[in-house]
Amino acid sequence: MNNKFFEINNVDFKVGNKVKVKNVSFSIENEGDIICLLGPSGIGKTTILRTIAGLQNIDKGSIELRGKTLSSKKINIEPENRNVSLAFQENSLFPHYDVKKNILLGTERNKGKKKQSINFEELIDLLDISQILNKYPHEISAGEAQRASLARSLITQPDLLLLDEPLSNVDQSFKEEIQEKLKKILNNFKITTIIVTHDSYEAFYLGSKCGIILNQELKQFDDPYNVYHLPNSVEVVNFLNRGILIPAEVTSPKSLENIDLGTITGNFIKPFPIGSKVKLLIQPEDLHHDDASNLKFEVIDRKFRGTNFIYTLKTPTNTLIPVFVHSHHIHQHEVDEKFGIKRPIHIDHIVCF
Amino acid sequence: MKFNTWFFSSFLISSIVLIPIITVFSSFFENTSNYYEILKNTFLIEYIINSFTLLISVLIFTFLIGTCTAYLVSFYKFPGSEFFKWALILSFAVPPYIYAYSLTAFFENYGTAFTILKNLFGDGNYNKNIPKFDGMFGAILSISFSLYAYVYILARASFLYQSQSLIDLGKNLGFSKFKSFYKIILPAARPAIVAGLSLVAMETLAEFGAVDFFSINTLTTGIYNSWIYFDDLAFANRISFFLLLFIFTLFILENLSRRKAKYHFNSKGGFKQKEKRKLLGGEAFAAFMFCFLIFFISFLFPLTQMMYWTIKFPENLFDLQISNLVLNTLYLVVLSSLVLIIFSLISNYGNRVSNNKTLNFLSTLSISGYAIPGVILAIAFITFIAWFDNSIIKLLGFASIKKIFIGSIFGLVLVYFVRFYSLAFNGIKSGYEKMNISVDESAYLLGYSKRKTFMNIHIPFLRNSLLFIIILISLEIIRELPITLILRPFNFETFATTAYISASEDLLEAAAVPSLFLILIASLFIIVTSKYILREKHE
Repeated sequence: MNNKFFEINNVDFKVGNKVKVKNVSFSIENEGDIICLLGPSGIGKTTILRTIAGLQNIDKGSIELRGKTLSSKKINIEPENRNVSLAFQENSLFPHYDVKKNILLGTERNKGKKKQSINFEELIDLLDISQILNKYPHEISAGEAQRASLARSLITQPDLLLLDEPLSNVDQSFKEEIQEKLKKILNNFKITTIIVTHDSYEAFYLGSKCGIILNQELKQFDDPYNVYHLPNSVEVVNFLNRGILIPAEVTSPKSLENIDLGTITGNFIKPFPIGSKVKLLIQPEDLHHDDASNLKFEVIDRKFRGTNFIYTLKTPTNTLIPVFVHSHHIHQHEVDEKFGIKRPIHIDHIVCF
Repeated sequence: MKFNTWFFSSFLISSIVLIPIITVFSSFFENTSNYYEILKNTFLIEYIINSFTLLISVLIFTFLIGTCTAYLVSFYKFPGSEFFKWALILSFAVPPYIYAYSLTAFFENYGTAFTILKNLFGDGNYNKNIPKFDGMFGAILSISFSLYAYVYILARASFLYQSQSLIDLGKNLGFSKFKSFYKIILPAARPAIVAGLSLVAMETLAEFGAVDFFSINTLTTGIYNSWIYFDDLAFANRISFFLLLFIFTLFILENLSRRKAKYHFNSKGGFKQKEKRKLLGGEAFAAFMFCFLIFFISFLFPLTQMMYWTIKFPENLFDLQISNLVLNTLYLVVLSSLVLIIFSLISNYGNRVSNNKTLNFLSTLSISGYAIPGVILAIAFITFIAWFDNSIIKLLGFASIKKIFIGSIFGLVLVYFVRFYSLAFNGIKSGYEKMNISVDESAYLLGYSKRKTFMNIHIPFLRNSLLFIIILISLEIIRELPITLILRPFNFETFATTAYISASEDLLEAAAVPSLFLILIASLFIIVTSKYILREKHE
């Protein structure tokens, strides 16, 4: 007996005859869990959501919710009969109804159900859309439309909520606040949710699990911490833009050697035989600045990121290495200056490919 | 299987609409009588030359009138400019054949012009000094003044949505007003103007009433005559085939230009409302006079002429059973609108939910009915029914079905359906285009079935579009002549057929009353819809 709340087994997600993402399998263990799917634009994330919602069919594998098959080669439950809600990325509000009516249409589905229902006023307040309730969709901004659409989906209290880039049009200054509120609502009402986004920080904050979709495949499906710190492939590293891969040779079970950085010690995530030539992941936070160090490289760029700077250093072998430095650091280094790296170099988790 | 039900309904509707078109094309391969051989060697060339002359002249006239008036009301403020903005489309209320009656009534020997001169200057031999607008020139004027509004509406819409920066650019380059007009404004509006001219071209080639009244032999009158006088359906269809080829070329041209025209309408963001320049003094007077003259010639002149005759010969008013004509017209309008709206809605919805390429192609093909002259449609319909009756119904041993379709309201409404299907289909389609498909999907995900989505989301959303379409269809049906003339039941008359019959019997005074009523009712419809026709914002 399958006791997983939601499960996708070996599904090829297609648009027409074109396969967008193939052979996908993942599951949501418990009701109320939130998972996020990350990937570049056009990779097929939206296709996955549309298929789960029943707007597209599958001809391989199965999609199951509460042990009941929603989609398979033979079965395709109509979208209106799934109790799965999808908030589209673009404005999908009914153009001839005002925002209030649009949102309240979502409550029709729950009439007669015993479930504790989301309070309309509270929801409006949380999403800060009280001032647009009497406006029509064409009179509001894209960000407001997105929040109204989110409210409509939330108020339906579906078995499974699908959010397609839910905050892509929301102002950056407001985004974090909305993310917090959204997480609170989803947790309070135990709404199982799949969120599609290309913003890794949004995914890491909201999701208890994250899936990375690249090159037509679900490359990694894991806790946000693991996805961030322990990427399982070169593609994931490149996608998350987490650092660079430099050549190195494994010299012991706890060390390796690089021509520019010398000896690096730490714990290997995956063991490699001694003498193996590997690609070592160097993330900006792995190396530490030290003016007194004799390991110095040339600064070729400096990016100010608020709480820190990211220096890009050029090694004698023309490798470009990123290094974080806290922005309160006593002095700054200009381009063309020398920049010291603290030795010995120790990396807690050594990620190699 | 719900998708299939919608798919097959749409498929069936589009196929029915296509029957007359297929009939005309297939009849090309049938045998014709000797009449074809005689005509081929004698009049066919004349038909083609006349049609061509008429077409080119009308295109030049409508281009000049439509573009100039649109330019003036779009770019300038002058006394009456707000009034002319909508008043200039009133010419639609005067079908070419009624314009032709007015023209003849005014300028004929001892006509209205003669009476005016006589009242002003006393008795005299004025007839030889009054110009005669008949024959080809009369037909050209009648059609041009009735149809220029197509060019006016589309050119105006295009001028209105030209960005201010484009016009500012001309100023920065030091262009004069005239140079800006033909170097910047006109080329930018070209697709819209071509689209307007294509509509004019199709209507001109299809025109029956006015050319028949002036006894011009064109392909369209040739089709009618070969059927009425020689009872040669095959030959009528053969001429139709040539005419259709011509029209389809125009149709494709129009479609292509309209597709391009889209890009000239700055519908979202970045649109800066143009500021109209205020004209003063002589310039303002000239602009006013030009627009007034066009408005007068195209609308006030035929209206007053018909009024004058109605007042002068009041007995015609009493001879005519107005209430009967109103009821008949209303009957046709309500029935046809209902049928057209219901089937176009089903077809559009079927296209939307099934998103099938074959169906899309079939629908695009089926809306070409509007490009086919009413005469051809009516005759193709009779041909098809005759063939169906002779080869299938008889074979099965059933009683003839001809009476059900020919000379019946049912048949008449069916052919109206084919003729005006594109109006309804395209109108609903453009309404649907404003609604993203994710709106439907959102409804499904809120638990709405397809039927409930259609009834609770689509219909309320399309309500305004549907009203507009109903009024447009009504306007077309009130003005429609050849289909009604050929297919109406015995003794069933409309304002259009009554006017035509009186005029063809040389009783122009008697034609005045139904013509006047037709103009007034059509004007009312136009005034009601002018807000939509001339809308200044993309909704």
